[in-house]
Amino acid sequence: MGNSKYLGLYLLAPAGVFVFLFFLAPVILTAVFGFTNMSTATGISGGSYVASQSSMLALRDRYGLDDISEQLTTVRYTIDEEGLAAALEAGADPATVNELGDTFLGQSYETRRDVERAIKTLNARPSSVRAIKAIAGQFERSVANTRYETEDEILGAIAEFGIELTETESAAIIDVTYTGWVFTTQNFKTMFSLPDTKKTMINTLFYVFTTLILFNVGFALVLAISTHYMDSGPAGFFRSVWLLPRITPPVLYVLMWKWLAWDSGFLSVMLEPLGFEPRNWMLDSPTNAWTFIILINGMVGASMGMLIFSSAIKAIPEALFHASEVDGATRRQQIWHIIMPQLRWPILFITSYQTLSLLTSFEYILLATDGGPGGATEVWALTTYLKALSNYGGALQYGYGAALSLVLVVIGITLSLIYLKVFNFKDLTAKPKIE
Amino acid sequence: MSGNYRKWPMIVFLSILTGPIILMYIYLFVDTVTNTPPGSMVPNEFTLEHWRFLTETIPGRPSIWLATWNTFVFASVTTVIVLVVSSAAGYSLSRLQLPARSFFLGSIMVLHAFPTVTLLIAIFLILQMLGLYNSLSGVILVKISLELPFGIWIMKGFYDTVSWEIEMAGIQDGATRFQVWTKLVLPNVKPAIMALGIFSFLAGWSEFILPLVLAPDNKVQVLSVYLAALIADDNNFDMALFKSVGVFYVLPVIILFIFFQNKLMNIYSGGNKG
Amino acid sequence: MRILLDKFTKKFSDLTVIDEMDLEVRDGEMIALLGGSGCGKSTTLFSICGIHKVNGGRILFGDKDVTNVTSQERNVGVVFQSFALYPHLTVENNIGFPLKLRKESKAEIKRKVDEIAEMVHIEPLLQRRPGELSGGQQQRVALARALIRRPDVLLLDEPLANLDATLRLEMRSEIRRIQQETGITAVLVTHDQVEAMSMCDRIAIMDAGKIIQIAKPRDMYENPVSDYVAGFLGSPPIAFLTGQVQDGNFVEPSTGTKMPLSAEIAASQSGRQVKVGIRPEYFQPDGATKIAGTVSFMESQGRETLYNVTLPDGSILRSIQGVHDPVHIGDRVEWGVDSAEMMVFDMNGLRL
Repeated sequence: MGNSKYLGLYLLAPAGVFVFLFFLAPVILTAVFGFTNMSTATGISGGSYVASQSSMLALRDRYGLDDISEQLTTVRYTIDEEGLAAALEAGADPATVNELGDTFLGQSYETRRDVERAIKTLNARPSSVRAIKAIAGQFERSVANTRYETEDEILGAIAEFGIELTETESAAIIDVTYTGWVFTTQNFKTMFSLPDTKKTMINTLFYVFTTLILFNVGFALVLAISTHYMDSGPAGFFRSVWLLPRITPPVLYVLMWKWLAWDSGFLSVMLEPLGFEPRNWMLDSPTNAWTFIILINGMVGASMGMLIFSSAIKAIPEALFHASEVDGATRRQQIWHIIMPQLRWPILFITSYQTLSLLTSFEYILLATDGGPGGATEVWALTTYLKALSNYGGALQYGYGAALSLVLVVIGITLSLIYLKVFNFKDLTAKPKIE
Repeated sequence: MSGNYRKWPMIVFLSILTGPIILMYIYLFVDTVTNTPPGSMVPNEFTLEHWRFLTETIPGRPSIWLATWNTFVFASVTTVIVLVVSSAAGYSLSRLQLPARSFFLGSIMVLHAFPTVTLLIAIFLILQMLGLYNSLSGVILVKISLELPFGIWIMKGFYDTVSWEIEMAGIQDGATRFQVWTKLVLPNVKPAIMALGIFSFLAGWSEFILPLVLAPDNKVQVLSVYLAALIADDNNFDMALFKSVGVFYVLPVIILFIFFQNKLMNIYSGGNKG
Repeated sequence: MRILLDKFTKKFSDLTVIDEMDLEVRDGEMIALLGGSGCGKSTTLFSICGIHKVNGGRILFGDKDVTNVTSQERNVGVVFQSFALYPHLTVENNIGFPLKLRKESKAEIKRKVDEIAEMVHIEPLLQRRPGELSGGQQQRVALARALIRRPDVLLLDEPLANLDATLRLEMRSEIRRIQQETGITAVLVTHDQVEAMSMCDRIAIMDAGKIIQIAKPRDMYENPVSDYVAGFLGSPPIAFLTGQVQDGNFVEPSTGTKMPLSAEIAASQSGRQVKVGIRPEYFQPDGATKIAGTVSFMESQGRETLYNVTLPDGSILRSIQGVHDPVHIGDRVEWGVDSAEMMVFDMNGLRL
């Protein structure tokens, strides 16, 4: 380590690997996945080619290739090695199978009856009709409903089947029979056309700004300023208590709110004597749901503002307070003329950081209302999660979810870059003093 | 702070606002060891039956001890690696000559502000592709990566406060930059490392979304997912049981919080998440 | 060991801070780099010890070119302004740290630490931590740590700036004593002319990245090469008057006072504007060339009193005098300049 020229890079490298793998790569992949139709149906690795019923329907509807679809679904009978092996497996007499192979290998028949007829000509033919039918069944062949791994395989199979295709027809078949994910801009078209999108966006904006103004900044200011005017004992007590929501694990924290709100919980019991029916107060109505969501998030968010504002107030020289009191300032004047001017930057800081964090957080909403009642409290980030990662909704739409996230990712990067500019990045890049 | 204004109006005012939180926490603890008749809020008997989950496994759930062990492994492995990696990277960014240094600094700052939950889907798919889905190691790797920008940022901030002259003196005394870091600088940021460690441990212990999405299986379940699944199960609604599991889950957090409150306050105000 | 800076150049990004500086520090000599902040004195020191890379020229220790040798291999002891003691180590381990890095045996380290602790008078403090020491004690520990591995060169970066006045006086002589006892070549960086004059064999006075003059303290005081140097040395500082040379005299314009000049200067500068510098000790009531003004400021320094005398055009002369009959602010006085001790500079500040 005598040469410390590269020490900086060595020390940074492990962090680089982690951050690249699970931070930068996901950013890029979110963008990539947003332009695919990836879902549980398509799988996440490459797919295969199957001429399923739905793909044949698509061949008729999208390409008008009715006759090709007809031919592909036609059943034929071909005596091949595969069929012979399957017949043996199914318990047919080996002598019959061997003779069948020797005599008719490679023969093709239009109907099952033709095959049966051929089997009957064998010396070692089975005695029962049922056994003949069973053997014949093993040679039923159709392009439809067989899984082919590559384009060449499915096209080869079709050709073997004796169906001649033009190039456009081939392309059409490949398109409709592919079961894996493909690139598409459909997600964004869907996003812009769905009326739900607009509603979710309005929900999100309402949620972010109400929580931010009332709690993360507003109530945080109340906490910081009121504890400033207390002795250190009670001030410390209140600050600790208000940190509790933040350090309590979210699952438990929301559970406590559920206890407050559920139909035999605190509110129901307390309000019953006043003539209110016991009910689940949180999910009772959209208004209540929003009230709880904002309280739940706000009480967590207030603590950070409280800490930052408190330390900013602490940084004000005490002489300033004394001087203003000697000058006869009331408490309100002191708050307005001495404390508030000092908090301008901290408030801007909290506003910008918390906007971003509220915009993308959905943990507490997921745990509290899960977007309910009836989607009333569904915000953008939660929709993303529900569409792509929650199994309740049936198929997981990874592609659509990624497209929804991509919107947040772009907003996130843009805002972060703006903050970088606003909060004096230059101050942070002072050069090392040892050369 | 000041003798010229009355203090009690502030105390009364805040007490009223703080009441509900205190109430929720008091009932959290009280309800785990008592029974309360329906329609009342006053407990009428002492009981330990809500804690039976410690000895009998709840049907359909993993053992609470397995979940506790998983949570402990998750939180502590994350913490150790975050500490090691971010104290190295933080030092590099704070003090060493580095090509493209301001690019790295800028990226760390952007990543630090960047909301990581938006990457969940991509991360989920990456883990699937790597075959690390539903494994503790997978979710640990992800948690480390997402925690690192914050850790590096905090560590860089702490290194910035160490005097340059200490490092210069070390170099004059014949130490390499690596020795200066390990022998002279690290011992001086011990309190910072301690604080970041506690913070990371608590963050790991409380983490919910990542294990929920990336490692939901019973075998690798952590306490947060365990508790959430218990609550979500409509067939067995038992608030007192939920609360008891919750108290069991939160005890280490409360203990760490009581002992290291001041350290944590420092680091929470330096952070931005939440 | 001799230190030689040969056309030493230092840049920060595009800004050239020091351009082709030459400086020789003789073996066993203690030299002061004196100058105001930003003059490049600390940059020079950090380049000598290798913390800064050199952008041009050479640095030689003895005959060895150390320009591209790392700090670790240069064998230089440095005492920093903040002392830079390692807070987590005891005094003993602080001092022994350089030896520990060289993997010397414990017994050997102990022996050397005890020896040097005795020299700097800190034997009883060895088990304490830096936080438990006074400023002067920290300074002694820093010296011991810098000296323990017998460096070729000792560098001191504003070593007294963080000490209070009495300690400063004490450490001034202590550092000098230790430097002379060890016979080490030393460079002292300071902005305080008193420190430079009292501690060093020679002073190199710097301004804007250049050495203006290098000389023994007394020589520099008596024969400054420029008004900058003259102004830097001496407390209270020298006063300057601007006027014209006429008929072998310097004529002060607002009072018309004529002060005789040496024949040589009188001849070469006849008719030109010049600047004369008059030190406070040469402006006295009994001086030869009387000049009248108003006492505008008085400061008692105990044994002596400092007066500012303002001339009609606002320029100021300073005088330092023993205690005598009271003079008050606002009094009009007529004191005399010892014109033989007057220093004459051209309008660019160069000594004539």
